Amino acid sequence: MADAKRRFITTTVEVEGRTEERVVEVPAFEPAPWGADAPLTHVGARARRADGLLKAAGRPGYTTDLRRPGQAYAAFVRARVPRGRVVAIDVTAARAHPGVLDALLHADVPARTRLFDPEVTYAGQPVAAVCAETQEAADAAARLVRVTIEPLPFAVTVEQALAGGPVRPRLDANVMNGKPEVVERGDVAAALAAAEVVVTREVTTPCALHSAMEPHAAVCEWEGSKLTVWESTQGIFRVRDGVARALGIPLTDVRVVCEAMGGGFGAKNYAGSHTYAAALLARRLGRPVMCAVDREAEQVDTGNRPSAWQKVTLGARKDGTLVAIDLEARIPLGIGGWEGGPGDLFHEMYACPNVRTHETFAFVNTAAMAAFRAPGHAEGAVALEIAMNALAAALGMDPLALRQRNLATRDQKKDRPYTGNRLAECYAEGARRFGWPDAAHRGPDRAPDRARPHVRRGVGVAAQVWSTGGGPPCYCTVRFNSDGSVDVMAGSQDLGTGTRTVLQQVAAEALGHALDQVRAVIGDTASAPYAGNSWGSMTVASLAPAARMAAEDARRSLLEAAAGLLGVQPGDLETRDGRITVRDTDRSMTFGEVTRKLGNVMIQGHGSRGPNPQDASIVTTGAQFAEVEVDTETGVVRVLRIVAVHDAGRIVNPTLAESQLEGGIIQGLGFALFEERRLDARMGLPLNVGLHDYKIPTLADIPVIDGHFLDGADPQANHTGVRGIAEPAIIPTAPAIAGAVADALGVEVNDLPLTPWRVLASLAPGRR
Amino acid sequence: MHLSINGRSLPVAPAGSTTLLDLLRDTLGLVGAKRACDRGECGACTVLVDGRAVYACLTLAHQCEGRDVRTVEGLGTTDAPHPLQEAFAAEDAAQCGFCTPGQLMAAAALLAECPDPTDAEIVAAMSGNLCRCGTYPKIVRAVRRAAAALRDTRPDVSIGAASGAPNRAPNGANGGAAHG
Repeated sequence: MADAKRRFITTTVEVEGRTEERVVEVPAFEPAPWGADAPLTHVGARARRADGLLKAAGRPGYTTDLRRPGQAYAAFVRARVPRGRVVAIDVTAARAHPGVLDALLHADVPARTRLFDPEVTYAGQPVAAVCAETQEAADAAARLVRVTIEPLPFAVTVEQALAGGPVRPRLDANVMNGKPEVVERGDVAAALAAAEVVVTREVTTPCALHSAMEPHAAVCEWEGSKLTVWESTQGIFRVRDGVARALGIPLTDVRVVCEAMGGGFGAKNYAGSHTYAAALLARRLGRPVMCAVDREAEQVDTGNRPSAWQKVTLGARKDGTLVAIDLEARIPLGIGGWEGGPGDLFHEMYACPNVRTHETFAFVNTAAMAAFRAPGHAEGAVALEIAMNALAAALGMDPLALRQRNLATRDQKKDRPYTGNRLAECYAEGARRFGWPDAAHRGPDRAPDRARPHVRRGVGVAAQVWSTGGGPPCYCTVRFNSDGSVDVMAGSQDLGTGTRTVLQQVAAEALGHALDQVRAVIGDTASAPYAGNSWGSMTVASLAPAARMAAEDARRSLLEAAAGLLGVQPGDLETRDGRITVRDTDRSMTFGEVTRKLGNVMIQGHGSRGPNPQDASIVTTGAQFAEVEVDTETGVVRVLRIVAVHDAGRIVNPTLAESQLEGGIIQGLGFALFEERRLDARMGLPLNVGLHDYKIPTLADIPVIDGHFLDGADPQANHTGVRGIAEPAIIPTAPAIAGAVADALGVEVNDLPLTPWRVLASLAPGRR
Repeated sequence: MHLSINGRSLPVAPAGSTTLLDLLRDTLGLVGAKRACDRGECGACTVLVDGRAVYACLTLAHQCEGRDVRTVEGLGTTDAPHPLQEAFAAEDAAQCGFCTPGQLMAAAALLAECPDPTDAEIVAAMSGNLCRCGTYPKIVRAVRRAAAALRDTRPDVSIGAASGAPNRAPNGANGGAAHG
């Protein structure tokens, strides 16, 4: 079927807001789209998570749980200054510690492996490793290593970075790309000058830490020239690339396995210093070596959502129509990173002809940022939505009505339509579920609780847009075993999102098989074809079409074989629940009866993910509504309830999707109220390095959550009609909560997180 | 010395400084209890000692001599799950699943003491167990479901008499904490 088409084409692919030109493969055939009304059995069902019981039994196979025969354990020694030069490292006492096997210093590391750089550029940078028979011994020995570092001047804030010299060697300027990122459409200055109403707000958001429960970890084991790496990762193939490059060995000699992993949220996309240290020590010792970072390092040295200062100016007509959006932002990235800033959201979220974003990304002497669930958008939404609330107040307009008036019906950044965008329905359905109050029932003066007159209630709303189309390259293989059971094989991984379950449901659907006869095999570069990282809300939208195509390919072979056995044409056959039936007759065979007759003649199918449409943008949109209670005596904010309604195309498994939506909302709640990595700017050191001082939400913080996805499908996006959901979930939560707090108090608190002391400070005399 | 782990008496010789968590994971290969913070902040290492939920990372192995230690491995298996494990699977109360063994053991201690807990009692007993995936709403539903199942079937759920001081306290709501 592919004969008339070109098999490889160049197209644009979008990842985390960045657009790249890539060569992609056009699939050999394209199944007919599953539209919104397609009669599907397994897809859309609340199937149980495939490995749910395994997780409840505590046996999923996390990297940090591995105990290979002869396994040794490594621990890092880290710099305790933000900048300096390593002068000496004395490992004498550490080597003498009982159980210690080896120490790894910069001089022991091959030149091509970036590890233990003597130029220290942030506090927490690893400078050496110790390896021992037990983790306990390795940790104890690491504490005995004496490191002498000659301190150098440093910068940990944007202001310090802009005023001082380069924060690391081989850097011309501390501003990324030497200048601010400025993107403008229309003429913002002219539009603001002509606007009937103008509001400006300054907003700060905190540096937030991913805080996955399983720390970054690798176990490395050599067998001759071949290396197996077990890694807690969001991307087994990308880890394989990184390891092969760092060690200078062929890709075919590296196998990366991730059977289960304890959370990533954007911080586990690459091989890291722990991977390289484990690989090098394992080679030196001839034993498997685990390197798992400790909690302090997990919090300090594995990535973060950088803090942001944003100044937003909105111009509008008296009827609420936006005429100008202007953003100035300053972001301290850390010692490395990329421009995952808030700007993009401002060009996408609301219809507006004149938009300008001016973002300054500065390198500073703190650990590098990493993508963290909707990087840029989560912090951008806080500032944009606070400004929208201010505009609504200035206009005397309902904040929800203002948003509904400025609905973006096409992608203004790329000037093209969306494949589907039902944000208007999300607003309406969310308002209905929430019971969005009219103006008389909002604001600080509405009837208080007589028993607790110091407690005020408020409501807020915020919206979201995020690119969720997924895309190629992504492959899947479906193969029948001789008993009729099926393996669905993909080089993907499960972060806790339910990748296995989704693959199982899609393949069972396309095959017409029973769900319990289909099993996903993922998380091993040696056993399955390539799939990309689980990032950018891409996994399901990339994998589901590939899995469906592989299953349909396998089904076609199965039917050809069955047709011969039944003496009919393949077109006469249909499949359901693992049974092949000759249409309009009672003649049938089970899948197992066919495959048993075939023995080891293999029925298998291959699927590849085709390119996305080039003339339309694929996004998930949604709106969230928050109700809060603020104690004006203590400053404590309690979120009472969140209603979330999102349009994510077809939902493969509503239970898993709701779990992920609730998780995003709860992370957003933490971002709004508690989470903040504090720095001592004078010393250049992080202050709250554990989970006691860096507060993530606990069970006691959880509101009533009503998370809902609109029914439907997006067959324009891909032939399974699915889009992504992971990152959209977190974006509107914090701004909805901030809006609700302002509504409760009648005073804006525009610096997050909304801690008690910030709330009280906003209520202090003179601030009202 | 001997330690009673999941009803079996095992000979062990831990150093004086070895925690129960390191003994379980590194010596006995019982890796269900997780090493996520190693300093009593997250609850992923929660096990039962004489029926009480404790942080294994803050408990010395020697403190457990003569006491009854229970881990998730002793709760049930995939073939014969404990009602709590079945409820966690049924309610999708595990996303990445890393904190799940600790959540389960905290819930087991709660239900042994309080067969029909209120939401406030569930929060008080389990807010010392962090979940970064944000599975909390489903965890609460799973605990309620398991409580109902246990009350209906009335199996012997006693996991030893509660005694001794617990080393874990609920984290409580962050809102009340003086931080930031």
